[in-house]
This record gives sequence, C-alpha cells and structure tokens, in this order.
Amino acid sequence: MSEKMTESMSEDEPTQGVPEPTYDWMGLTNQWGTRVKPGEHGLRLGDLNVGIYGEVPEYWDDQTRRPRGALPRAGIPPLPYSLRSKHEMWADCAADLYEEAIQRRWIPATEVPWDTLKELPEDVERAICQICTELSQCANTELEIITYWQDRMSYGYFEVKQYLATATFDCARHLEVMRKRALSNGGGLGIESRGRVNRMILESSGGWTEAVVYLYLLRGTYITRLLTGLLSFAHNDAETFIYSHMLEDHARHMTYGYDHLKYAATHHEGATDIMRTLLAIGEGHMANELKDGVVSSAMAIIFGGGIQGGRTYGMERYLLLVREFLEDYLSVCEWLGVDRRESLHPMLKSYLED
Amino acid sequence: MSEAVDTQKEYELDTSWMENMGEWGVKATPGKRGLTLADIQVGSYAELPEVSDNMTGRPRGAAVRPEAFRVGAYSVHTLSEIWLDNAEFLYEEALQRQWSSATDIPWHTLEPLPDAVEEAECLLCTFFNEVEFVAGDVPARWIAKTTPDYLEARNVLSAQVMDEARHMDVFRKRALANGGGLMRMSGATSGFVGSIDLARDFTEMSTRLHISGEGAVLTMFRMGELFGQNEAEKTMYRLCAQDEARHVAFGVMHLRCLSATAPERHEEIECYLDEAEGQLLAGQQNPAGTQAETSEALAILLGGGAEHYDEGHKKLLVIRRRQLKEYMKRVISAGFGDRFENGRSSIPERYAATG
Repeated sequence: MSEKMTESMSEDEPTQGVPEPTYDWMGLTNQWGTRVKPGEHGLRLGDLNVGIYGEVPEYWDDQTRRPRGALPRAGIPPLPYSLRSKHEMWADCAADLYEEAIQRRWIPATEVPWDTLKELPEDVERAICQICTELSQCANTELEIITYWQDRMSYGYFEVKQYLATATFDCARHLEVMRKRALSNGGGLGIESRGRVNRMILESSGGWTEAVVYLYLLRGTYITRLLTGLLSFAHNDAETFIYSHMLEDHARHMTYGYDHLKYAATHHEGATDIMRTLLAIGEGHMANELKDGVVSSAMAIIFGGGIQGGRTYGMERYLLLVREFLEDYLSVCEWLGVDRRESLHPMLKSYLED
Repeated sequence: MSEAVDTQKEYELDTSWMENMGEWGVKATPGKRGLTLADIQVGSYAELPEVSDNMTGRPRGAAVRPEAFRVGAYSVHTLSEIWLDNAEFLYEEALQRQWSSATDIPWHTLEPLPDAVEEAECLLCTFFNEVEFVAGDVPARWIAKTTPDYLEARNVLSAQVMDEARHMDVFRKRALANGGGLMRMSGATSGFVGSIDLARDFTEMSTRLHISGEGAVLTMFRMGELFGQNEAEKTMYRLCAQDEARHVAFGVMHLRCLSATAPERHEEIECYLDEAEGQLLAGQQNPAGTQAETSEALAILLGGGAEHYDEGHKKLLVIRRRQLKEYMKRVISAGFGDRFENGRSSIPERYAATG
C-alpha cells in the first residue's frame, strides 16, 4: 500500500463493528476452474469462449443482465430486451471485430496531419465540404439506428453488443472528423441531405436485421465505393489519412453487416424472402437518392479537379463508381442467396447498361 | 485514370447547391492539443440553439433543405436537458485515453490465489460484468433521442458506450483467466421504478447513473490499489477509474449547467437526489453497499484472505466513508450543495456516524 494512501486512510478510519459474514455466495458457479491464457495478440474476447462460457444459445430467454455462463437469480424484474434470438443480431466475427476496432483506434485531433491542408480551388473546396456534410449525415444516421437497437439486444449475445459499441464510437468519430475537415480549410458545411435513404434506414424499426439490410447492404456498399474514390483523389496527406481510416472503420462495419445477414439468411427460415422484399423497395429509394444531383456533381467536381473537369471525366468517373457499387451489391446479394441481378430496380439497372 | 472512363461525353452538372451552403470561409486552426472539437467552435458553427428545431438530422450549421424528410423525432431538443460546458474536452480526452483490455493489462502477472480470494474476485467481476453495460445500454438509447445539434454531448455519450463495453469485457476476462469462473448474478440493475434503465428524462437518468451509481463505483475503482491482488487487477481498476471519472464529470457538469439554466427544475432534481441517496449505501448497485454480497467479497480482498476478514471489513468501511464524502463533493460542485446544510440530506449525518 502506498504511503499516501495509508496516511489518507487513517484520517478516514471509521469506528464500526464487523458483522458476521454469511458467505452465502461462495461456491455458486456453473463452471469453475477456467484459466484462459493470452495468445500472441493478448487476451482477446473470443478467447473466452471456453466450456459453458462459449455456449451461445439460439434463443436467450433471460431478460436480465445475467452474464452468459453466470448463475441466474430468482425474482429479478425483467428489462425490455426485445431481440432475444441469435439470428436477429449474431455474426461470428463480432468478437474479433471488437478487438480489431480497439487496436485500430485513431484520433482525429492529433493524428490527422492537419498542417498538410492547403488552399484548394473554390469549386473543389465546396465539393469536398458538401461531401463532408453528406458523409457526416450518413454517420449520424448509422449512429442513431445502432443506438436505437443496442439496448434492445439481449445480454446472451454480448459480443455483438460490444462490437456495436465500437461502431457507435466510430460513427461519432466520423461525424467529428468530417466536421473538422469542412471547417478547417477556408470552407464550411454544405447543404443537408434530402434524406431519402436516411429515412429508409431510420424507419426500418421492425427489426435490426432489416435495418442492417438498408444500412450496410444497400447504403454501406455505396459508401465503401465513395470513400475509396475519395481516397484515390485525396488532395493532401490530411485527406489521405482521414479517408483511409474512415474506410478501415467502415470495412469493419460492412464485415459485421454482411456476416450478420449471411447468418440470418442461413439460420432463419424466410429471412431471404424478407430481404428480397426489403431490397425491392429499398433499391427504388437508393435509385432516387443517386439521381439527386448534389452528391453526384460534388463527386464529379472532386474527380474532375473542378467544375469543368467534372462535366467530362469527373462525371464519368463517378458513374463508374456507381457501377462498381452496383456490381459489389449484386455480388453480395448473390452470396446471401437473394439474387437481385434480374430484378434489380430499372433505374439502377440503367447505370449498368450505360 | 481507369480505362473504363470515357471522357468524350459532356454532362450537365447541377451546381445550384453551391449557392446554398452553410457559413463560408471558415478556417479553424489546430492548437497545442491538435484540432479539437473546441477549435472548430467558430462563427455560426458554434451557435447552440436553446431549443433545437432540427428534425432532419442536419449537421449543426449546414444549410436547410426545405424538402428534406423529417426523420428525427428527437425528444431531447432543449439545450438545458443535456448540455454541459466541457463536452468537447471530455470527448477529446476519451479519445486520447482509450485502452485495450487484450494488450494493456499485464495478464501474465496473474497467479493462482487462495480459493476464497479467487472466489471473491470472481464474484466482484461477475457483478461488474453484469452492471457495467447498464452505463452502455442506457446512454446509447439517449443518443438516438437527442438532436444532432448537441453533437458534442452526444459524442461524449458515444465514448461512454465504448468505455463501458471495455469494462464489461475486462471483468469477464479477469473472471475467466485465473482458474475461477463467473458466479451468481446480483440482479442489481433490473427493471423497477426509479432505476437507471427506466428513467424517462435524461437528467433523471444522468443523476442516477453518473452522479450516484458511477460515482460510488469510481470511489471503489480508485481504491483498486488496495484490493487488487496483482498488477493485472490493479491496472484494470486504475484504467477503469480513469474512464469512470469522465462519466462522473459528465453528470456533474450537466447538473451544474442545468442548475444554472433551468432553475425551475431545481426541486425536481432534489427529489432525484433524495432517491439516489436512499440507495447510495444501502442499494445493491453499490458493490461496497451494506446490502450487497459483494461487500463480503470486498472485505476478503481488502484483508488479503478470509482469515483477515475483520481487517478487510475495516478497510471496506473506509471505502464507504469515502463514497459519501466524494458524493457530497460532486453534488456541491453541481450546484446542489444546499441540501447538505439545510437538513434535507441525511448524508452529512451518515458520514459523521461512520467517523
């Protein structure tokens, strides 16, 4: 004990009697003698899944915060956990993604080389600021839908809750870094999004899986291409750092999203039919959002190095990005068992035909 | 340039949005702590609405689009309901002080402990594994309900959700890493009136969660040096205390802000504090509380074994006494210290009785 603490303790020394201990709690365990050892990457969450502690049931009917593997206690009033089936949230990769998110954390304030920002032509700066505004709003939607569902998820699937906590923090960081970029190079924020797809995501309150269909499979796949494009056309080291790190975070979110949808598709009868219906509706909203001129023209200006270049090469490059997004989307749909190639929304199909 | 790109064609570009953007010409510059959230509080972007009419999820300061969908049914849209003056600082600090339970805890320092001590540690870890994420679940819910105009406060809550996930994780790891296991749950955070979970007002929730609940736990974590049996446990408690201090600071600073800006809510807050104080030592949410079985576990850990239970119990009383003292300091700092002088609160009396 430190000297300071001993001194401070004596100053606070209380004068009460000692009640007889009951030790009623001793020996109350489902499984004793567990000794998980750290591996080369430390003691990771997934390493803990040994014995009964690694048994993840298909349905978790306990509405308390009982840790998985701990002994229950009678008479505990329930909490309103509405997602209690594994297929409603599970992804095998959740524990690994959780640890990866922690290892790959980054700090916009001090790690982005802000001093490398240089004055840009006004049309380009405006386009970047507009995209920052748009991506900030996308991150906000992701943050709001995750936090809406987070506390509805049962404790039995804590790996997913923990992974989503990292995604929540990532979204907060994306909001922050996009705002910082927009306000640090002589520009400002742009105009808000019309919000078609944001609305679609936020209104998917029937279930988390349904939200994941829109948030990740449809919108997220597009955002991946958007960030990849921005990274390819970054103007300085600050932007390169920002986009590459956002992309890295986003890749984790997508990994969870795709993996969860695959789990739902293969473990819940009828899930693929629901996804197909949702996508048939969602593609229409996505197509209308893509038609909106704000993001497309801003991206074209960034790719073309200005308005003039945006009218030719820039817009062509953006349309290529949309095609790449749609090819990615169709491939993932096929992998999930919800092939959309033939029934893709006509407005989206037209991008592939051009 | 990709070969797939055809540059012959010329497209119409809609650039009308360029005439309708937020305030232009802003150039925030990094300070000695980098480019912080505080550094970008410039021009109109720093203007916080007292009442937010943002129903579309618009970033604060962005231009309004009349046809945007109203997707944000934000129930927290009044500044006094959630604001605190140092949100930017707490958020940036949270980013700087993230840690990894996989690699930052010296797990190799764990060594076999006497059975009673290992059981005591595992009971405490089961308790924390169970209750730590109440402070993740609940703030998360409030993020979704809060207007993005108050993004700084929301970002602090996002950091808290992350911190609590890590706490839930580190205590599970400890319980399963040294020959023990999880034990019986406590049920300390369950669905009853007046619980952290079921509060329908943010400040009510924050008073219970940040001021009394996490405040009591913070005092305990700070004493982890005393009951940690090895460097792994001491590090674990030290790092958790660092996070917990930010969460408690959120609650104190929010109450202070509310006290100054919404005096009409003063009596209501006093009532929450009345309830919280009733639970402070007797409630099961305090692992050092008089009703909690974790108190016995703590006495074993503080004594260094069941055979030194009495000695450990004396140290436990010191923790309880400190919890009361630090609670009073926080409430005074939040602007509600009168209750300790006008006889409303029984805490000064209880504190004196433990001396």
